[in-house]
Amino acid sequence: MEDVLDESISEEDLRKFERRYHDSLTQGTVTQDIQFNYSWALIRSKYQTDIKRGIFLLEDLSKGGNEEGRRDYIYYLAIGNAKIKEYSKALGYTKILLQVEPCNQQVRTLKNVIEKRMEREGLKGIAIIGGAALALGSLIGLGVALARK
Amino acid sequence: MDPSVLTTLKILITGESGVGKSSLLLRFTDDTFDNEQAATIGVDFKVKLINIDGNNVKLAIWDTAGQERFRTLTPSYYRNAQGAILVYDVCSRQSFSRLDAWFDELETYATNTNIVKMLIGNKIDKERREVSREEGLKFAKKHSMLFIEASAKTKDGVQMAFEELVQKIIQTPGLWEVDASSQRGMSLSDRTEGGQPWSCSGYCSLV
Repeated sequence: MEDVLDESISEEDLRKFERRYHDSLTQGTVTQDIQFNYSWALIRSKYQTDIKRGIFLLEDLSKGGNEEGRRDYIYYLAIGNAKIKEYSKALGYTKILLQVEPCNQQVRTLKNVIEKRMEREGLKGIAIIGGAALALGSLIGLGVALARK
Repeated sequence: MDPSVLTTLKILITGESGVGKSSLLLRFTDDTFDNEQAATIGVDFKVKLINIDGNNVKLAIWDTAGQERFRTLTPSYYRNAQGAILVYDVCSRQSFSRLDAWFDELETYATNTNIVKMLIGNKIDKERREVSREEGLKFAKKHSMLFIEASAKTKDGVQMAFEELVQKIIQTPGLWEVDASSQRGMSLSDRTEGGQPWSCSGYCSLV
């Protein structure tokens, strides 16, 4: 585990929050807290479909809600989007938080983690292109070698 | 992963809101202090490499928010933790009185039965102390916890607290495992023979 994006919730715990949310949904007693807890659990899942559902529920929450709650929703929207590799969206959310709290180290750290991932995956792209060029080069070399025969 | 890392340990920090959990952690990991430390959102995470008696140990530290609205989800972070730090503010009687509830939570949700627990009384730099050192010590003794008083602001006790906790974890047989990447080709079965494979009284280098 290197950073906050590597962490995931246990299946058992996720199901617990899911049950609580669905029970209150059928009873018509869903509060912002219940929805937030379930979204947070979903964001911590290993599975993309769970994370996407978490993002959907958090987006829904962030439309309403109080100022304090919105800070939580936006932070976990940043984490969720980073986990599904929607990096620019994720960075956008960290920027919103840093506008209000420019010195918040938790958010700054998350921003660095996201930027590092982008860089790492960007470099990976270059490495693949580099590899292709090398393969092409050796083919040309092979061609030259063949032509000389 | 760095092959010279003996093991990775999961440590959790809990306690009331505003007692200085994040400040203690930031002093330890980054050697910084912010008087205006913002309230933690949910749970924060930091990694720190420390050297204990010649062995590199990687710490994955989870810093939980103390605020009430996060209480439902934080228990799920106790899973597989090898160490737990419970923090109170020596200038806040209320934060000390709430320790029983925090301790109960720890006992309920920790999955490692022999998890090493530490109590930290923070903010000893401040005047108007409300909780004496003896009271803190008494609580720690009663619950078999390590105890230290500290100040994230002045650095007092911070490094020592984390080092003692890690030392105790390393000395606890069966609580931790050697990182797979540091085993350098030795098979797991070679080590498990003869019972208590990871005890080693803590300090032997396994590489």
